[in-house]
Amino acid sequence: MIQRQRNKKRRWSDYICNGMTYGASAISAIVLAAILFFVFIKGASSIRWDLFVQDYWPSNYSITIETDKNKVGEFEVPTSLDEDAYFSKKWGIVLKDEKDGEESVVMTQIVPDSPFHYLLDQSVKNNISSFQWKEGLMLEKLDYVDKQGNTSMAGSLFMQNAEDIVKVLDEDVTQITSMYVKTKGGGIRGSIISTFYLLGISLLFALPIGVSAALYLHEYARKNKVCSWLRSMIEMLTGVPSILYGLMGVSVLFPVTQMFGATTTNLLLGGLTLAILLLPTIIRSTEEALRVIPQSLRDGSLSLGATSSQTIFKVVLPCAIPGILTGVLLSIGRVIGESAALIYTIGTFINDSPGLLTQGTSLAVHIWSMMNMEQPNFEMAAAISLIILAFVCLLNISMKILSKYWYRKWN
Amino acid sequence: MEPIFQVEHLSLYYGEKQVLKDLNIEIKKNKITALIGPSGCGKSTFLRCLNRMNDLIENCRIEGNIYFEQDDLYHAKRDVVELRTKVGMVFQKPNPFPMSIFDNIAYGPRCQGIKKKQVLMEIVEQALKKAALWDEVKDRLQDSAMGLSGGQQQRLCIARAIAMEPEVILMDEPTSALDPIATAKIEELIEQLKKSYTIIIVTHSMQQASRVSDETAFFLLGEIVEFDATSNIFQHPKDKRTEDYITGRFG
Ligand SMILES: Nc1ncnc2c1ncn2[C@@H]1O[C@H](COP(=O)(O)OP(=O)(O)OP(=O)(O)O)[C@@H](O)[C@H]1O
Ligand SMILES: [Mg+2]
Repeated sequence: MIQRQRNKKRRWSDYICNGMTYGASAISAIVLAAILFFVFIKGASSIRWDLFVQDYWPSNYSITIETDKNKVGEFEVPTSLDEDAYFSKKWGIVLKDEKDGEESVVMTQIVPDSPFHYLLDQSVKNNISSFQWKEGLMLEKLDYVDKQGNTSMAGSLFMQNAEDIVKVLDEDVTQITSMYVKTKGGGIRGSIISTFYLLGISLLFALPIGVSAALYLHEYARKNKVCSWLRSMIEMLTGVPSILYGLMGVSVLFPVTQMFGATTTNLLLGGLTLAILLLPTIIRSTEEALRVIPQSLRDGSLSLGATSSQTIFKVVLPCAIPGILTGVLLSIGRVIGESAALIYTIGTFINDSPGLLTQGTSLAVHIWSMMNMEQPNFEMAAAISLIILAFVCLLNISMKILSKYWYRKWN
Repeated sequence: MEPIFQVEHLSLYYGEKQVLKDLNIEIKKNKITALIGPSGCGKSTFLRCLNRMNDLIENCRIEGNIYFEQDDLYHAKRDVVELRTKVGMVFQKPNPFPMSIFDNIAYGPRCQGIKKKQVLMEIVEQALKKAALWDEVKDRLQDSAMGLSGGQQQRLCIARAIAMEPEVILMDEPTSALDPIATAKIEELIEQLKKSYTIIIVTHSMQQASRVSDETAFFLLGEIVEFDATSNIFQHPKDKRTEDYITGRFG
């Protein structure tokens, strides 16, 4: 009787305990799914190949057509023409209305032999150069000579849409005097480059320093008070809020980059700050890896007349590589996701051609900048988040494969 | 004949604890000396004194003298790295490096600065042949050493030690992790190696000690109770404790 009651009781508490773990895992799964869902819904539609290769800032050009080609012709309608696209038979160009964002008319296609193959850039006075036609150029304004020989104007600036402009082109234009075109912008090419800069710089400094520090702490240092003190200080560094690293970066490291000629916040500064931020991560994962290497391997090496340095660099370090790789992976994730430490050190100006000593934004800071504008661009932010997620995912998988390969090679 | 190791009044402490107590022993060249005794009596510790592997243990302190070929082993000016090339060691558990078989054996010579592939190849082949492993691995020198069986791994470790052309090989229970067949192979190998090397072997197997060794030292609680020719130890032990131990009435 008593026995059975106990059993029943136990069963109930078991149910509750189990239920709690199930519930907890379900909640985390739901949260993760919700985040992914949110980002996907918001951002997926904005992801196009353009995004990766385009500049962020739109640029304007004043262009014209080479004189001897600047005349009407007869062109065949291209076979693959979208329904909402309009083709100018006399000039051999396809125009389309672009509706996302501000309304505009873009050139999507030119047929072979079209006069638009022979463009000249006259934006800079006295320096006319040839101009390469690109898909997606926005046609803002068109100055032309009409059939009566008068000059006239057309374009989206005058509230004309693609259909109107094609009509003008085919019925009225005899010669194009000049055009104002604009590239689309909104791309993240510059930020991607900046992100790689940051990754490169931070790992370049953090990896050798971190690994060496871990080797010192674990292999060379005597196990005394100073050593354990040092270790707990390093542990503590992981808990420092990253904005503090940012502040320290500007105040301490900025003069260093100034010596290299920096005048503003810059990517080198950001990279160095991140390197400091990464050190604890790398030291810890390396130490973790060193700890599990059996002493018998070290003994074996020493008993063969290897010096302790030879032992460390030829036997111990190679065995620790999978662990170090894990540290690198964590670090890359950290660099890609970091924003607080970077806002002060690289600035928030989205730069299309970043360099070592210029400003620029990592992808995360790019998001920050986009959300900090007068009109927060939610879709774009979500799209970039998606890209970051995909990148981190890819990284994880490749690291897994790499360390598995390493493991297989040795076991 | 002159002894290769001459140990005088050797005492060893781990912190406050005395593990070896006033040992005196002379180990003869090109002989196999077996160290037997119950667990924890300090055999491994003594063995590790002979190539100064105890230096790595932080609270380890040594008193007394050891002479290796008439030179003070613990002399302040002694080059420990060079010493270890002359006194090799094989451990209880096979501990090949996670590298290819070739690299494992070439490891020691490479650490001494030998780089020529030709020379290394020659060394590796000779070492593997002496360790009776050549025929089994000659086609897979570039494979990972971790893929070998336990017995093969242990012979690889012996080959690795041989590749350094040491004068002495210290073996700490080299067959305790192996099955009888692998053990027999290694014993055969030890017999072979006796011609060119001095071998000091720690073992828990009385049979092994009596089969392979020329001399045997019986350790008990950090002291050498008896040290004599193996046949004497096993047939006419002088000390009561030795007799108890080898007949299995003890420890
Ligand atoms: N690093 C160390 N620090 C402190 N004490 C140690 C250390 N290494 C060994 N000892 C102690 O020294 C004594 C002798 O150890 P040792 O390993 O030499 O014994 P052994 O005879 O080889 O035993 P076994 O046959 O089990 O291998 C043991 O009591 C052991 O606890
Ligand atoms: Mg032992």
